[in-house]
Amino acid sequence: MPQPLSGLRVLELGTFVSAPYCGKLFAGYGAEVIKVEPPGGDISRVHGPFKDGVPNPETSALFLYLNTGKRSVELDVRAPAGREAFLRLVEKSDVVIENFLPRDMRALRLTYDALKAVNPRVVLISVTTFGQDGPYADYLSNNLIAFAMGGQMFITGTQEGGPVKNGGYQADYQGGLNAFSAGMLAVLAAERDGLGQHVDVSIQQCMAPLLEATIPYYTYLGRWAGLRRGNHMASFIGIYPCADGHLGIHIMPRNWKPFTDVMGRPDLFDDPRFVTQADRAQHNDDLMAEFYAWAAGETKHDIYQRAGTGRAPIAFVHTMDDLLTSAQLNFRGFLQEIEHPVAGTATYPGPPWWIGPDAWRHGRAPLLGEHTEPILREVAGLGAADVARLGSGVPA
Amino acid sequence: MTMPLDGIRVVDLTMVWAGPFGARMLGDYGAEVIKVESPRQWDLLRSLGLIPRTEARWYNKSAYFNHNNRDKYALALDLNDPRGKDVLLQLCAVSDILVENFRTDVMDNLGLTYEAVRAVNPRIIYISMPGHGKTGPEKDYVAYGSNVEQLAGLVSLSGYESDEPMKTGFSYGDPMAGTALVGAVATAMRQRSLTGEGMYLELAQRENLTMFVGEYLVDYSMNRQARPPIGNRHPTFAPHNRYQCAGEDRWVTIACETGAQFAALCAVIGQPQLAADPRFATNAGRKANEAELDTFIETWTRTRGHYEVMHLLQRAGVPTGAVLTTPELLADPHLRSRGAWVEHTHPDAGTWEMEAPPWKLSRTPGHIRMPAPGFGEHNSYVLRDLLRLPEERIAELYAAGITADDPDESLHR
Repeated sequence: MPQPLSGLRVLELGTFVSAPYCGKLFAGYGAEVIKVEPPGGDISRVHGPFKDGVPNPETSALFLYLNTGKRSVELDVRAPAGREAFLRLVEKSDVVIENFLPRDMRALRLTYDALKAVNPRVVLISVTTFGQDGPYADYLSNNLIAFAMGGQMFITGTQEGGPVKNGGYQADYQGGLNAFSAGMLAVLAAERDGLGQHVDVSIQQCMAPLLEATIPYYTYLGRWAGLRRGNHMASFIGIYPCADGHLGIHIMPRNWKPFTDVMGRPDLFDDPRFVTQADRAQHNDDLMAEFYAWAAGETKHDIYQRAGTGRAPIAFVHTMDDLLTSAQLNFRGFLQEIEHPVAGTATYPGPPWWIGPDAWRHGRAPLLGEHTEPILREVAGLGAADVARLGSGVPA
Repeated sequence: MTMPLDGIRVVDLTMVWAGPFGARMLGDYGAEVIKVESPRQWDLLRSLGLIPRTEARWYNKSAYFNHNNRDKYALALDLNDPRGKDVLLQLCAVSDILVENFRTDVMDNLGLTYEAVRAVNPRIIYISMPGHGKTGPEKDYVAYGSNVEQLAGLVSLSGYESDEPMKTGFSYGDPMAGTALVGAVATAMRQRSLTGEGMYLELAQRENLTMFVGEYLVDYSMNRQARPPIGNRHPTFAPHNRYQCAGEDRWVTIACETGAQFAALCAVIGQPQLAADPRFATNAGRKANEAELDTFIETWTRTRGHYEVMHLLQRAGVPTGAVLTTPELLADPHLRSRGAWVEHTHPDAGTWEMEAPPWKLSRTPGHIRMPAPGFGEHNSYVLRDLLRLPEERIAELYAAGITADDPDESLHR
């Protein structure tokens, strides 16, 4: 069985998280992904966290994870010969992914029109915080800026504590996933019509409509509470400390009976203050006090299992250790060990969706410039002398 | 000029947010999406619109439903009745994709397993969107919206500096699963074009979101060291934080990644000497003394509006972004300029603004083509025009309550 994206060649001129995550998904599902790294490599190589805490461009967890299954070409596209070599690769590619500011792509003379001139079938996927047009298109950004401008930050955290970012690079990951979904639509269209196009993904625009019911309530009803609710949407949707970690409960009306059963508190089910969801909302503080007291006496694995059996919506806040040892994730083969020649063995999650046992392959992240010569020779069709002149992009 | 999913028919059995949102985007980009609801069990979002129950067809006026279900047709069909199930299988026979997000045992109990659907259409792509997946010891555990991010490891990494874990501000796993659905469908269609065969595809919401913290998992597996929450700070860069601005609950984010950006920041806030101060001259120095640096910055931001700070600093080359509220998102000049919000009219709900399709595909753009369907609005289209069922059979479906033009709303009040 061929992998779903086999036969596609993808050039990734991507840095850090968003475009590389998009490229990682292409690679995982079977496309040949060529990562074009600037001299010295993608900045995620110098970010870490590193194996054993020792900085090394080949052992940054961020790079290792985001670049599985790709091949690396070290090439300075700012130099005329490097740009020319890049365009030779574009000629032979189906997709190009990039996350530079629009003005930087113009400066490199690598706009969609320039790529289209050498390959009218090529799909260019651009993913940036603000997209290709509009007054902020060339504003500088990173994950924090995008998280703020996309509206998710204002609603995260407590009222007193102020807005807070979610862990890791959530805005960038959202950008990468959106870029993949959008880009794949263009790939389908290209395979149907023989024509490529420019796919413009703005992380801000992708994020802004996603605030649950907030946007519809505001635009249709004019209602907006403007509150940050911390760890509790209400007493019955929130996070509570337990003896060895934190529990998360999310009770819908139909779960009240099984929830109080698993809690071992049938008296709460019978309590007239808590009969309907509206009653529970009205006596929110009373119920929250009950939940705090109850959760403090529970341990996370035990209550999670009892809740699972009893069909009560109780999960626990999984740490990285909990993920690695998760019976569920391990049963499903979602955690795979990958060997890397410098970083050694580490555990990688995947795939994001399952299409059969052979659809997704991890592969390891490439060493910097590991495939420069074979790709420039075999794909770009450069002669040995030209490849040597490019000097593997190593800075002078 | 066609849309990317023109000619693709989708049977949408999903409810609430993740599935309906994802299927709606399939509709935005050209697919014919047919949403199936039972006369006795509609999509819960119809009930969550805050519409007075006294209004006529109040269940068609929920904006929460209408945003997530535009560009779809609606068929009312009770799958618990064998005659309803037969109609669904007939629909599957002429469709490309089926997507469901029921409890893990529901489709099996209905007799609508992948094998049963494949038997009527070997080219169908059958997609399940469970919380945990349909295999494994936790497959039957209940996991709603906010549970998914807890299971995905994200909550353990989020929160104020050295504080307790913090949830996101919404059911984050849902829209991420919906966004992934489009990529999953496209991936599956590519595979089908290679093999000529359909397939079963599983998008476990918990796994999809775990991908968003993958570097932490790789790190932990190599180093066995926990990384507690660091709030708005960055592991290596400084300054990198959120700062209070003039006005009630108004904030701005600033993130310097280079010395040049930091020098520009110092100049704009009227403290050019900071850039030369040995404590702040290197990134390592700025990181070590970031709390002190933040005081200088916030003293300046407090006296200005958050948009004002953003424009002043961006003009000087400093990555800066206002922390936008919902009303500000709707009014934001940039999102306006990109056409992110579009006026829209629905026959029952009236005229208001909703989000455009999120991605701009230059040659095959998406469109809002149809308002969200009223309950059972396209029964006749599906049963008569598409499936060409005999009139007597349609009459039987109505008489038995297997389909209906009006829901039994007494069950949802």
